[in-house]
Amino acid sequence: MSGEKSRSRVLQATKKIGELILEYFARASEAKAQGKPVAWITVFTPVELLRALDIYPVAPEHFGAMCSARNFIMDYLEEAERKGYSQNLCSYSRCGLGYALSGMSGLMPPPDILITFRNSCDVYVKWWQSLQAHLGTPLFVGEAPYVLAPEDLDNYVLDYVVKQLMDLIKVAEEKFKLKFDEEKLVEAVKLSDKASELWLEALRLRRHKPCPFGGRDSASDIFPLVVMQGTREAVQFYEELLEEVKGKVGKGEGVIENEKYRLLFDGIWLWYAFDLIKYFEDRGAVFVYEPYSEAWAYRLDLSKPLESIAKKVLAMGLNVDIDLRIERFLKSIKEFDIDGAVLFSNRSCKSWSAPQLVTAEIMGDKFDVPYLIFEADMADPRQYAEAQIKNRIDAFLEVLRER
Amino acid sequence: MTISTSISEVCKNPIGMLKKYKDSGIGVVGYSCSYVPEELIISAELQPFRIPNFGSAASTLTPTFICQFASAVLENILKLEEFFSGFVLAHTCDPMWRLYDIIKKKVRKPVFFLRVPHNTEGELSTEFFKKELLRLKDFLTEILGAKVADEALLRAIEVCNENRSLLKEVYMRNDDGKYCVNGLDRFQLALASMWMPKKEINAQIKALIFKNNSVRTDKVRLHINGTAIYDLKLIEMIEDAGCFIASDDLCTGSRYFWENVEISRDPIYALADRYLQRTPCPSHGPLQKRLAYIDFMVEKFKARGVLTIAERFCDPILYDAVHVKDMLTKRNIPTMLIDYENFEQEAGRIKTRVEAFIESLSG
Repeated sequence: MSGEKSRSRVLQATKKIGELILEYFARASEAKAQGKPVAWITVFTPVELLRALDIYPVAPEHFGAMCSARNFIMDYLEEAERKGYSQNLCSYSRCGLGYALSGMSGLMPPPDILITFRNSCDVYVKWWQSLQAHLGTPLFVGEAPYVLAPEDLDNYVLDYVVKQLMDLIKVAEEKFKLKFDEEKLVEAVKLSDKASELWLEALRLRRHKPCPFGGRDSASDIFPLVVMQGTREAVQFYEELLEEVKGKVGKGEGVIENEKYRLLFDGIWLWYAFDLIKYFEDRGAVFVYEPYSEAWAYRLDLSKPLESIAKKVLAMGLNVDIDLRIERFLKSIKEFDIDGAVLFSNRSCKSWSAPQLVTAEIMGDKFDVPYLIFEADMADPRQYAEAQIKNRIDAFLEVLRER
Repeated sequence: MTISTSISEVCKNPIGMLKKYKDSGIGVVGYSCSYVPEELIISAELQPFRIPNFGSAASTLTPTFICQFASAVLENILKLEEFFSGFVLAHTCDPMWRLYDIIKKKVRKPVFFLRVPHNTEGELSTEFFKKELLRLKDFLTEILGAKVADEALLRAIEVCNENRSLLKEVYMRNDDGKYCVNGLDRFQLALASMWMPKKEINAQIKALIFKNNSVRTDKVRLHINGTAIYDLKLIEMIEDAGCFIASDDLCTGSRYFWENVEISRDPIYALADRYLQRTPCPSHGPLQKRLAYIDFMVEKFKARGVLTIAERFCDPILYDAVHVKDMLTKRNIPTMLIDYENFEQEAGRIKTRVEAFIESLSG
């Protein structure tokens, strides 16, 4: 292990993410100062469309993850809890509500409109309604119905979402006296598609042994896909990242020198506990696949921009039928040669966690993939029992070792 | 007003009804919540049966931080599968949504998932929901082999409208600010309507209305809001603490029957419209609409205080509770949030809190 200390396990690209985030938020405040509308969005809202309307999107979920990772989330959580929001509610939402209730003097400028599409969870609707009740800001709630079968991406379900996008355009045009620019939409869709293509290619390179980048990188490097879709900066970021990853593959350089176990991680990362990834890596285990990393990567059809982004809103990972999700799991198990799965039962994300045991059972029983399920919260560090979780990781790695 | 034994028996043991249906050869469709139009199931000559949470503990298939109510409904579906021809689950909240995922992998009987738009306003959502109801109709005919004729659907709407009107008539007897029909009885009538054949329950409610042997009381009048309460021991416990539940905003209470279906030339559209425009569940529709309903109920039924009854992990109620409190505080109506996982185990704590609340209102 001594040789490992001499080189970084993290990509050079990842080291730039912090700066990129701060820059993104700084520009939000600049946009606000220039009189441009700022939208608070949930993270699966079509950002490409907002670019065509010249509305600047910021995502309180992303803000929550950042506050947790940088260890200043507690003030916001406690502010929301003082107001009466239960500790059993999503920690991102408590952070966002706490921020809204405490004057919004930090990185996120106050919103001019609140936009959400219910897709990954129903909490989005309740959270956004609550923000509206406190701030009095206009609210747009869209619905992306659960995709029960691939046909839903072509039938009345898709049509319903496309029409809601058109509604959103109308609402924004009327409210802010803006003009929707179709050329800008095509340009944003083109850039968004390119960023997705590059990121998906980088993710695919993790099939190589040793794996060129791990969970620490993938958890951070999705950020440009979340809120910067449709920008040149995002494309440039992924171009550089892909080049670096290809270089590592070419040199046969992995996250760690002696890769023993290749793992799947199911869940949102614990933002305050990145050291847990290191704990795995120190013991020869590398995360090579996470459904979360693919969540914002979606190829778009430039000839049908609106329809294409409607499909993207619908088809985000958690909004597709369990059989389709399991299929994707199984495909990845083969493709990435997975030795074991780590499932994070996230107290904040009930929509993700509720069927996890059933999925795990199928992976374990039918496909002989050992799994570990542990419980904590993605952003609230008070729910984290570090020693207990590490004990369970040790036991899990022991199982893998004996196979 | 005294509820006949058969209704109170049904409410104590709804599973008994399932056995009766099975013995009589009646096909039963289990459904999860009041966004599923019973009318469509009835028009297919099948008996709708709302799956309660009691009789089972939470399922071991879900994590402990998932609403224990939804988890127990899941457990009941798994346990009682043999009594049903199929199931209709509705997308209301996250746990109910994911129940479908789990059930799909765990039961052999056909399962239908009804996608109820959370944004209930506007023609786009109504048109979408109409298409979902047509898909449900196809499920009943193609998968369960039933027939749904337009005429049968109109008759089913009529019998359900009659049921709702009767339940509302009983309910409205409280609006003069005096005690008429106690809360426990009213909840029994609503629950029995979800488990018994409509014609049968309608006849019994009519007989009760005719007798009208209500009494007056000076007990403190409360409004309660929450999700669904099937185990009426909780209601009994609250009223035993010294109050009268004058009104409610519960899925097993007034939300179930407050609005009728406007019969029109397109009955499926009429259903879609009614079910989206109805008094909303906390998981659905604009927050302001739900707040306005609570405000209306408190005013109409002259409540002096409001209890919010929440399953400990029920997101929609827990978000709304903040706004319910804000709204009522402005009107000088005291509120109290009672959250619980298993009310029988937490009965002592809940009772003490309700008693203290009532005492504060009486002072």
